Amino acid sequence: MTGAAAQTETFADLVAGDRAVLTRVGVRITPDGVQLMLPDGRPALWHWADLRRLPDQADSTVLVLGRVGDRVGRLYLRDADLQTQIRARAPRLSKRDRVMPLSRLFVWAGGAVASVAVIIFLLVPVMAAQLAVMLPAEGEKALGDVTFEQIRVALDETGLLGVPICEGRQGNAAMRAMYDRLNPTPDLPYDVRIHVLDHDMINAFALPGGRIVFFRGLIDQAENAEEIAAVLAHEIGHVVNRDPTRDALRSAGSLGVLGLLFGDFAGGTIALFLANQLINASYSQTAEATADVYAHAMLDRADVSPAALGAMFERLLEEHGDADGIVAHFMSHPKMAKRIAAAQAAVVDGRDYGAILDDDQWESLQTVCDDEGGGE
Amino acid sequence: MPPARLNITYSGRKGPIFGLALKTGILTVLTLGIYRFWAKTRLRRYYWSAIRPGGIPLEYAGEPLEKLLGFLVAVVFLAFYIGVVNLILMYFSFALLNGNVAAYVLSFAGLAPIIFFAQYRARRYILARTRWRGIRFGLEPGAWGYAWRAMLHWLLAIATIGLLWPLTTLWLEKYKVSHTYYGDQIFVQGGRRGLLFGSMKHIYYPLGLSAVVLATGVWSSNPAWFAMIMLTGPWFVYGLAYWRADSFKRMTEEKELGPMRFRADPSAWTVVGIYALGWFLINLVFSGFALFMMVPATIILGSVGPDLANFEQFEAMLAAAAPLLIFAYFAIFLGYRAMAHAWITLPIAAHFAETTRILNAEDLHQIAQRDRDEFAEAEGFAEALDVGAAI
Ligand SMILES: [Zn+2]
Repeated sequence: MTGAAAQTETFADLVAGDRAVLTRVGVRITPDGVQLMLPDGRPALWHWADLRRLPDQADSTVLVLGRVGDRVGRLYLRDADLQTQIRARAPRLSKRDRVMPLSRLFVWAGGAVASVAVIIFLLVPVMAAQLAVMLPAEGEKALGDVTFEQIRVALDETGLLGVPICEGRQGNAAMRAMYDRLNPTPDLPYDVRIHVLDHDMINAFALPGGRIVFFRGLIDQAENAEEIAAVLAHEIGHVVNRDPTRDALRSAGSLGVLGLLFGDFAGGTIALFLANQLINASYSQTAEATADVYAHAMLDRADVSPAALGAMFERLLEEHGDADGIVAHFMSHPKMAKRIAAAQAAVVDGRDYGAILDDDQWESLQTVCDDEGGGE
Repeated sequence: MPPARLNITYSGRKGPIFGLALKTGILTVLTLGIYRFWAKTRLRRYYWSAIRPGGIPLEYAGEPLEKLLGFLVAVVFLAFYIGVVNLILMYFSFALLNGNVAAYVLSFAGLAPIIFFAQYRARRYILARTRWRGIRFGLEPGAWGYAWRAMLHWLLAIATIGLLWPLTTLWLEKYKVSHTYYGDQIFVQGGRRGLLFGSMKHIYYPLGLSAVVLATGVWSSNPAWFAMIMLTGPWFVYGLAYWRADSFKRMTEEKELGPMRFRADPSAWTVVGIYALGWFLINLVFSGFALFMMVPATIILGSVGPDLANFEQFEAMLAAAAPLLIFAYFAIFLGYRAMAHAWITLPIAAHFAETTRILNAEDLHQIAQRDRDEFAEAEGFAEALDVGAAI
């Protein structure tokens, strides 16, 4: 073994991994690999193809080597020439050997996806539906109060104060008058509170505990009070069916799970997502249909044409296309055409429907955001 | 035979760790977080290998894929717990208490045992993947035992508004250390109950002084007394650094590994100095960055200045600037992370390592290897709950 193969002999530190012993060994470069001369005279050969370098080491003057099939043995080389030779001759020095079969990873990845899906799409909605019905009215109101404030803050571009509530006294009185005409009270365990928020969004939504929120943008887009009344009736339908409560509980469950998946990477956006989720709440088709049926009956009793809602959607759709906001809320379902048709079908032929507000009331509703709390 | 006394040298440097933290951070963002398992592994390899007791570096042998697997395992279990428990807690907090502050408190209380459990398991994984001189460290199973003890001791600390924190720290350290092995040799954490109270003195003093000063100020209604509060603030900051350095020293010097003993001499002033300098430099860089970003902003605003009244145009401009803003956000986030590694985490680690020594190490060579702890779950629970080690 001495002779031509033995070029330089230098020293390195070896740990074999059976005891915490550091062994000074001679190192020779041979055609087959690195030969280690152990103190007891035994030689050991580390083949070129088996050599692996430990990556990301802090001390760049030392080359730390391991080898395939030996999990703990390490060679600490300081000699610069030797390092250069090894780097040049070991073909797979930087290869990372996989420690586990990928199949195992895929099995657990599948398990994780399945378990999250079952929880978010099955378990949480079922539980939320059960709990929403059991939640006492006071609790529902508290839940609504909290989410209302969260949404106001989330929608404010400055992110500080929250979108202002429109305080026009006569406008709010007109809204109230509209509500009183619809008169759904016998079905509700709590008083419905209706707010107009000073925001461009063309939307309206219901919150737990009987809060209904309109955005100014929607009132600006309406051509008459009956269209607003139709939206209001639909939202009341959601309140009566406790859809918002169910949705809020469902979000609480599923957002926790999503936060788990993405970590703090998306932590901040979770709150925003929650607000978005509630505003653009896409309830199930059954929930929407139930709310529609409820709204039609209520509008009919109040002597307002149920077709008002359909008219407004058709116009918005023409103007904004598949836009966001309320069109998304109502249009997210492929059955939209069917729903417009249903609204039209609810119109009693030949009946002459009345107006829900007089002209003055309608005008003050349209300007509800213009004055600061004074009214007159 | 190894020498009786082993000093610890530190070979980590600011430049490489900055580069590594920045590079892995960028990859983490680009892969929507998936690369974080690789990032953590690579940073740990660097930090571990920088610590060289007796000239031989520690080795971190953890693998990114096993961390990913552990995370998936944890998600399977935790998704159920978090989805269902969150929902139920939210229901009860609104049904019974009409508020969701209660929900947060309750859901934290519900998570606390899981968090302690996860922390212990993460420690077990990290120790199982740490080696020195080719010999593995290890932590015996005992996560639930740790979890209930931690709950109890934390409650005690909270009930005494933190005054008993030194006792909590020592008790939990004793539990962890007395389950820790190096090879076949178990560690022992000594120290009597009162061991760490002295380390808290520079926190107790300024707090006590503040109370006295406030009381006197209110009583004598002389505002000059309140100015004294200004003095207790910096003292308190020093107190935090002192706690960190001195509690480390006291606990380290009471640790035993067979015949081996340890000495540590970190300085609170050095800790204060590292943090002060680190934050100063980071602030300096960010101030420069802000100035730099002002230039294009001013140019854009200046060129369209008069049209600002036109709201739609302003919105369009914001939309156009959005990529720039997102870029700035990630630049700040990643830059801060990398600078904190280079100017705070690494110098602190260097100081604690370099001031620690190992004594009576003559019989080190008799320590034998321990079996590999396969531990498929790795630190998945801690990772999923985001309560894992910072690196
Ligand atoms: Zn609806």
